[in-house]
Order: sequence, then C-alpha cells, then structure tokens
Amino acid sequence: MKKLLYALFLLCFLAPITSRSQEEAGDVSKIWSYPVIYNYDEEVTWYFDMAGTTFTEDEDLYIWIWSPSEPDAGNWENSSDFAKLSYEGNFIWSFTLTPTTYFSVSAEDIAASAGFWLRLKNKDGSKQSGVAQVSYTPFNDFETANELIRSYPTKPSLDEGLSILFNANLAEGFDGVESVHFHSGLNDWEVLQEYQAWLPEISAKTQLKDLGGGIYKMDLIPSEYYGTEDGYVMTNLNFLMVAKDWAATIPDQVLNAAEYIPPPPPEFKFFPLQISQKDFLGMIRTNNERGVTTLKYTITAGSKIIEGEFTGGTSEIKGFVDLVTELHGMSGLSQIHVLVSDNNDRVITDTAIPLKK
Amino acid sequence: MKSLRLKILLLGLSLVCFWGCNKTDDGSYTTPITLYEKVGGSWSLKSLKMVDEFAKANEIKPDEQNLESFFNYQDFKLLLNLDQTMNPTSYKVEGNVPPLFEPSGYWELSSPFQPTTANAVRIKLYSDASKSKLTQELRLTSIPGSTSDMQVQLVRSSEGTAYLSYIFNLTATN
Repeated sequence: MKKLLYALFLLCFLAPITSRSQEEAGDVSKIWSYPVIYNYDEEVTWYFDMAGTTFTEDEDLYIWIWSPSEPDAGNWENSSDFAKLSYEGNFIWSFTLTPTTYFSVSAEDIAASAGFWLRLKNKDGSKQSGVAQVSYTPFNDFETANELIRSYPTKPSLDEGLSILFNANLAEGFDGVESVHFHSGLNDWEVLQEYQAWLPEISAKTQLKDLGGGIYKMDLIPSEYYGTEDGYVMTNLNFLMVAKDWAATIPDQVLNAAEYIPPPPPEFKFFPLQISQKDFLGMIRTNNERGVTTLKYTITAGSKIIEGEFTGGTSEIKGFVDLVTELHGMSGLSQIHVLVSDNNDRVITDTAIPLKK
Repeated sequence: MKSLRLKILLLGLSLVCFWGCNKTDDGSYTTPITLYEKVGGSWSLKSLKMVDEFAKANEIKPDEQNLESFFNYQDFKLLLNLDQTMNPTSYKVEGNVPPLFEPSGYWELSSPFQPTTANAVRIKLYSDASKSKLTQELRLTSIPGSTSDMQVQLVRSSEGTAYLSYIFNLTATN
C-alpha cells in the first residue's frame, strides 16, 4: 500500500513536467572547440552549428548542461544569463567557459564524469535541440610520449583551429627559458609571422602557453593568425620553436595541410519536367548552402497567384504544389510563371513553364 | 435353348433402350467468373507514385517521386460499386484529396476477362449512368490474385506520348 502511495505521489509530481509541450528544434549539426585541445582548468570556447535546426538567427540560445554537473538546475523555464550563448553569425552560436569554474568541480572529477552532455534551448524551454555531447581530446600522454612536436589535427586547415604541443624537455637550450615563441609561415614561408623579439605585441602573439613541466602549447586559426586573404589556399605550415630572444631554436618543422574539398554545388530541379495544370509541381533543391532552410515560391497562372514555402536542410529541400486543385476549372492557360527564392531572399529561379494540354 | 437365347437378347435390347433414353446429367449452367468480382469493392491507398515518363524515357534522374505523404492521400479510398449481378455501377473517391480524376461517376472495364495479350485492362470512368461520356481511363496494371492488392495507373499524355503517370497501389478494405 505504501509503495502504491509513493508511486502515485511520484506520478503527480512528474505529470506537469511530462505534459509540458516541447518543440524539438533538431540536432546540433556540428560542435567544435577553440582551442582544439585544452585542460579542464583552461578557458575554452565551444561552437555549435545550428544550421538545419528550426532555431532562427535572431533567437537567444541557452545551454542546458547536466554532466559533469548542472549549473543552471531548476531554471529550465527561465534560463540564467550566465547560460546564454553568443551568436557568431552563419547559424553558429558559441559558449565560453572554464570547465572547472563553470561546473564547480575539479579537473579530476570532470575527467571521471560521463563527459559534457547538454541541450541548447530558448529562454523559457519551449524549444530545445536534441541531446548533444561536446567531445574532449585528452593529451596528457604527450608528456611521456618522447615526441618533440604533436599537432591537433595532424593536418591543419586554413579556417579551423590548430593546437601544437611542444616538449621543451627534448630540445637543447630550452631548460628554464622565460618564454617560448612560434616563428612560422604558410606555404614554405610565403606568408610570415616571424618572432620579432623587439616588438612586444608580436612577442605576445607568438608566445606559446606554458602548461608546466616543460610542455608548451600554441593555439591558432591559420587564416586569422596570418591574416590571409579570401580564397588563399594553404598547402603547408612551416615553423620552429624559439626560446626568448632567440636563445635557442629547434630544427624547422612542417605540417602539411588537409586537402580542401569544396562542397558540391547546389542544384535546383522542377519535378516532373513536363506538366499540365491537372498535375502536381515538385520543387527539389539539393546541396543547399549553410543557412538555406526554406524555398519560397510565387506561381502566377493567368490572374491567379499561388504562394507558399517548403522547408528542409542542407542536403535537400523538397515540396509539391497542388496545381490540380489550385487551377481546377481554369481555361485558356498555356503556361505558368514560377519565381522561387530562398529564406535569404536570393532568387533561385524565375522562369515560365509551358503547360501540356 | 433357342427360346432362352431369344429371351436374353430381348432383355439386353430392352435395357439398352431404357438407358439410351435417359438424359445425361452434366451439371447446371453457371456464369463465368469475371474481373468485376476481383476489381469491384472498396480500395484504400498503400502508396502513390508520380512517374516522370519523359525523364524516364530520356534516362534523366530523378524520374519518380512518392506522393502518399502529401495532400491527405493517406485518407484516399476508391469505391468501385457493383450491382447484385456483378455488373459495374457507380464509383466514388473518398478522402479530401486533389481530384487527379473526377471524384465520382460510373465505371466499367474495357474487358470483363483478363486479356491474353500484354495490353492492360482499363477501368473506364464516365460522368453519366449510360456510360456515354468518358472522363478518364485508368490502366489496371496489377490485378488482385493471391493477394488483395491492385495497381492502377493514370497516364497523362500529349500527342500520343506519355509524359507523366500516377501509380496508385491499392489494397482491398472489404
């Protein structure tokens, strides 16, 4: 009897939570961090690509994270300001934190936890993303790996983060140096960022982070660090580590860049290729650009105007217009005019389609 | 002895005459089974495919799209009514769907029997009970047999060449 009462109590307690309406906005399509690798007590920015979800660019998003701890517990329906993300443009939101501080737990506790598990949501919790995990790359084995240099990823990309580890214990002349600097260039030293020891801001920019124990880390995004122009193609990154005031150096190092694979071009098609006014007109657009989620159409058939829109994602946006009903009983139609634009008001097609009799 | 032989012969002849006058019973006449018995009734939609016959003929992809999840087609039903003597009467489309063909009228088959040639039987749709005003023909591309499924095709053509068709995969609901 007691058990039954407990069960009924639990049911009453949970009922308001389970009955609350919830809009599923879709899954986070990509998550990454900058720096690429970091210690739990280091500041990091997580980036969330929300293209393909129903979140719009003008929406405020909040992080709801429950592992390794739940900093905003109890506030699902009114997220705290500290949980608010920053909008970076192009459907990407970011959240900057120092994990040990944000979660109020030690680095050891985070390492022993299930990892970073979260949803992104709007302020009042009526709209939420799917469950997502921020993956973490441990790198503490580097200290004993007997490697002078290690990079994450092994093949850098121009517009993506890069972390380079340096074990000064394996380099001659670096013992006890005040600072270590990154003397480097892109494409066989074509675009340079030299270590200019006499310039304080350059000295600061090129300085590696001292992780202790003779381990140093350099974090950069090549396009930003070297200030390359749009369209620049990186083939390699050349560098050497330099002790303060060029007191010591290591041999030249090179990282070959990842191959750049451009996305396939977008393609728009009407379906079928020939049509009468008694048929359905399909519109299919594949390989959509980032942020293109909607096709808006205006069909002019004689004096009649038919308007509507279809939604979808990067891989495909597809829908059919019911000309069967819309043009039922209309006579003398020999063609329709179709204007299709995307949600950024860019014209996709503006054409006339002849109608079969 | 001669008299006995004669008696036996007369008995044999009389028996032959008796049996020879009796009419042989080879069963009563029954009407042959027609396609109407298989095609008539209530049918609901399993799938609806739009086939771009022009793209198909020219090997252009895509050449077909599924439509059953659009325009309320999950509620589509086709009633092909028969009278008591298994003759076709009226038909009706149920479900609030776009009228790809007239949603009600009268029907008959182009042939009550399965053809021996490759030509498909057609469901002829009329607007009048006397079946003089043909509104549409549907090709009967799969006839119910061991399964209670039927496939009909609505073909759009121009100058004798098909450029588009709709394939209705139906299943019996009665």
